[in-house]
Amino acid sequence: MAIMGKELARLIIGLIGVLVVVVVNALLLTWAERKISGHMQKRIGPKEVGPYGLIQPIADGLKLLAKELLTPVNVDRPLYYLAPVIVFIPVLVSFIVIPFDGYLQVKDINVGILVILAFSSLSVLSILIAGWGSNNKYSLIGATRSVAQNIAYEIPLLLSLLPVVFMANSFSLRDIVEVQREGWFVWRWQFFAFLIYFIAATAETNRTPFDLPEAESELVAGFHTEYSGMRFALFFLAEYTNIFIVSAIATTFFLGGYLGPVLPGFVWFFIKTYFLVFVIMWFRWTFPRVRFDQLLNFSWKILIPVAFANLIVTGGILKL
Amino acid sequence: MVKEISEKIKESIGSVEPVETPYDQRGYHLSIEATQANIVDITGFFDRIGFYLADMCCVDYIDYLEIVYFFNNHSKVCRIRVTLKVDPERPSAPTISHIYKIARWYEREIHEFFGVLFEGHPFMTYLFLHDQIDFYPLRKKQVPVPEKDKRLLNSFNPEEQEDGFFLNLGPQHPSTHGVLRVVVKMNGEYILSAEPILGYLHRMHEKMAENRTYQQFYPNPARMDYLGALNFNLGYVTTVEKLCGIEVPERAQYIRTITAELNRISSHLLWFGAFVADLGGLTPFLYTFDDRENILDILEAVAGSRLTYSYFRFGGLFNDVDDDFVKNVKKFIDRLRSRFSMYERLVTGNVIFINRVKNIGVMDKTYPLKYGCSGPVIRSIDIPFDIRKHEPYAAYDRVDFEVATGTNADNMDRYLIRIKEMGISLNIIEKALNDLPSGPIKAEKIPKKLKPPKGDIYHTIESPRGELGVYIVSDESDVPYRMRWRVPSYSNLMTFPELAGGSLIADAIATLGSYDLVIPEIDR
Repeated sequence: MAIMGKELARLIIGLIGVLVVVVVNALLLTWAERKISGHMQKRIGPKEVGPYGLIQPIADGLKLLAKELLTPVNVDRPLYYLAPVIVFIPVLVSFIVIPFDGYLQVKDINVGILVILAFSSLSVLSILIAGWGSNNKYSLIGATRSVAQNIAYEIPLLLSLLPVVFMANSFSLRDIVEVQREGWFVWRWQFFAFLIYFIAATAETNRTPFDLPEAESELVAGFHTEYSGMRFALFFLAEYTNIFIVSAIATTFFLGGYLGPVLPGFVWFFIKTYFLVFVIMWFRWTFPRVRFDQLLNFSWKILIPVAFANLIVTGGILKL
Repeated sequence: MVKEISEKIKESIGSVEPVETPYDQRGYHLSIEATQANIVDITGFFDRIGFYLADMCCVDYIDYLEIVYFFNNHSKVCRIRVTLKVDPERPSAPTISHIYKIARWYEREIHEFFGVLFEGHPFMTYLFLHDQIDFYPLRKKQVPVPEKDKRLLNSFNPEEQEDGFFLNLGPQHPSTHGVLRVVVKMNGEYILSAEPILGYLHRMHEKMAENRTYQQFYPNPARMDYLGALNFNLGYVTTVEKLCGIEVPERAQYIRTITAELNRISSHLLWFGAFVADLGGLTPFLYTFDDRENILDILEAVAGSRLTYSYFRFGGLFNDVDDDFVKNVKKFIDRLRSRFSMYERLVTGNVIFINRVKNIGVMDKTYPLKYGCSGPVIRSIDIPFDIRKHEPYAAYDRVDFEVATGTNADNMDRYLIRIKEMGISLNIIEKALNDLPSGPIKAEKIPKKLKPPKGDIYHTIESPRGELGVYIVSDESDVPYRMRWRVPSYSNLMTFPELAGGSLIADAIATLGSYDLVIPEIDR
C-alpha cells in the first residue's frame, strides 16, 4: 500500500510537472519560432511585449482564451469537440518516459520507446477526426494527407530507432542513455539512422518541407481550418510539443541524452533538444514544400529501404 | 507582308475589300469589313496563316453595333482590324470560339456588356457581372436584358450541374493572390477540370472612361494593374499621344523607359517572392520585398506615389528627375545584381524547388495562337515575342537589349525568364541612364481640354505580364467615345483550365503562380 501510494504521488507530481513543461515549452517555442523566422527574414520578430517580446506568447494565449469558440453550423459536433482534446493525450503520455536527467523522469518503463511510438501514432487519429468532423473539404483533404503521410513515415521512424535498441540491448530510454557513456550513437555507426530518424520526425510533426496536411497555399490551413480560439490553440500547443518530443527522442537515442561534462544533466538535455528544435525551425524558413507524391515516394522508395539495410547490417554485425 | 496578306485574303475569301491604313496613326496595318456570312471564314483564314486573336471588342455607334477583331502575328508585326456590323435591335453574330478558344471569354464579355448573342457559343454565362444587372452597361442607350438572356447568363452552377467533388480555390484563398475564384472538380488529389470565375473585382473602368475627360482618366490605369502601374500608365498616355499626334521630347522618352523598367523589376520581384511562397517557401518573399522597397523609394521621390503611379502625362512627365535619382538608380542596379547570385543559391538550385517546377505546367505549342497569351508565358514556348522589340515605344528602339526565352514551356522556364528579364531590365536602365539627354520633359502646347481627332486607335505596349492593348474610339469630344483595355493576364489565365486538367492540385497552384496574375487587371 505504501509503495503504491508513493508511486501514485510520484505520478501525480510528475504529471503536473509535465503539464508545466508542456505549456512553458510551447510558449517558449512559439516565441522562438517567431523570433527565428524574423531574423531569418530580415525582420526583428516580436519585441513590444516584455523584454525581447518574451511575454508575447502569453498575450497571444490570453487572446486565444478570451476568444469566442465558434462552431460552424454543419460540423459533426461530437467529433469536432473531441479532436482538440485527444490531440493532447499522446503528447502528455510521451513525456512520462522521457529522461530529462539521471533521476528526472516520471517513470522508467522497460518498454519506454514502445510507449512513445504507440501513443504518438494516436495523434494522427485526432487529426483525422478533426478533418472529418469539420465538414470542410480543405480539412478533409488535409486529414487524409496526414494519415497517408504518418503511415508512410512511421515505418522509417521505427526502423531507424531499432538499431539503437539492438546496440543498447534495451527498450528503456534511461538504459539507452547510460549505454552512451562510451560514446554517442550518432558517432557510433548510427549516423544514417540519425538522419533517417530526423527526416521522418520532421514529417511526423507535419513541419515544412513536409507540412502537407496544412499546406497553406493549397488547403488554407488544412485540418484545423474550422478551428478557432482555444481549440485552435490546443492544436498549436500539440504541434510544438510534438516537435519537442521528437527532438527529445533524437537526443536520447543518438546524442547521449542528459550526458555531458560540467553542466548538470538536464541542462545538457535541453541544450541538445532545443538545438534540434532550432534545426527543424530552420528547415521551415528555408525550404519550399514537397509535393504529395514526392513525399510518399521519398519515404517508400528511399527512406524505408535504407533504414532496412541499416537495420540488417547493424543486426548482422552485432550477431557476429 | 501587308500587301501579301491583303492579296491572299482576297483570293481566299473573295468578297472582302481590305483597306490599308496608316500604322503610325491607327496602330493597325489593314482594315477589313466583314459580314455575318464571311466572318467565320475570315477568322479561319487568319488561323491558318498563323495569326492570333489579339483582341476582340464591341463599340456601340447607336445606329449599329460594331464588333472589332484584332489579329496579329508573333514573328513579324502585322496588326489587322476586322469589323463586323451588328443590328442593335436584335444583336447577334456567329461565334468564332471554335477557332480561337480565347474568343470564348471575349464573346461572353461582349454579350453581357452589349447584349450581342453569339450563335453556337457553348457556354454563354456571366463573366464579370453579377446576376442583378438588368441592363447592358456599355450600350449608349439603355436596353433592358431580355428574360431569355437572363436565364442563359445564370446557367452556370457547378454544384448542381454535375456530380463530383468540387473545391473552390478562391475568392478568399491564399493561393490566388487576389480575388480570383477557380472551381475545380477533383478526384482525390487530382484535378479533373477547372473553371476560373471572374468578376469579383470588376469596377468597369471602360465605362468610367466614357464619363470623364482624357486627363481625368490618368489615375485609372494604375488601379487596373497595381503592380505594373507605370506600364499601364505608359500604355494609356502613349495611345492618346499617338491618337492626337503629340511629339514627346527625347528626355521624357528616356525617363519613361527607365521608370517603366524599374516598375517591371518591382513587379517581377514581387512575383518571385509570391511564387516561392506558393510553393511553401516563405522567406524569399521578405527578401524580394526588401529589394522592391528600394525601387518604391526611388519612384516615390520622382512620381510622388509608391504603388499607383500616374507619373506620365500627355506629352511628357509630371516631374523631372534629379541627380539623386540617377545616383540611387545606379546604386540599386549594383545592389540587385549582387542579389541575383544569392537568389540563385537559395531558390533556383534548391532540389525541392526544382522538383516542384521542372516539367510542371508544360504548355502546348498551339496555345499562343489559340489563346493569344503573351509576355513571359509565351516566351517560355520559345517565341521571342516582345512588344518592346517588335513595336518599340518610348526609347526602347534606342537601347539595345535581348529577349529572354525558354524552350521547355514549363514553370521552371517561366521562372527563369522572369529572373533573366530583371537582369535585362537592369541593362536597359543602365544604358538609358548613360544616354539620358538633357532638355525639356514636356511637349509644348498641350491643350487643357484634349480633343483628339475623330477615329480609332489600337496601341500596345509590353506590360510586365505581357501584351497590353488600348483601343480608343474618339468622336472629337473631350471624353473618349469608347475605351477598351486588352489585358495580358486575361488571355494567360485562360490556358489554366487546360494545364490544370489531370494535374495534382499542388502542381496546379504552382502553375497558377507561374502566370503572375494580377486579378484587378483581368476584372478591370
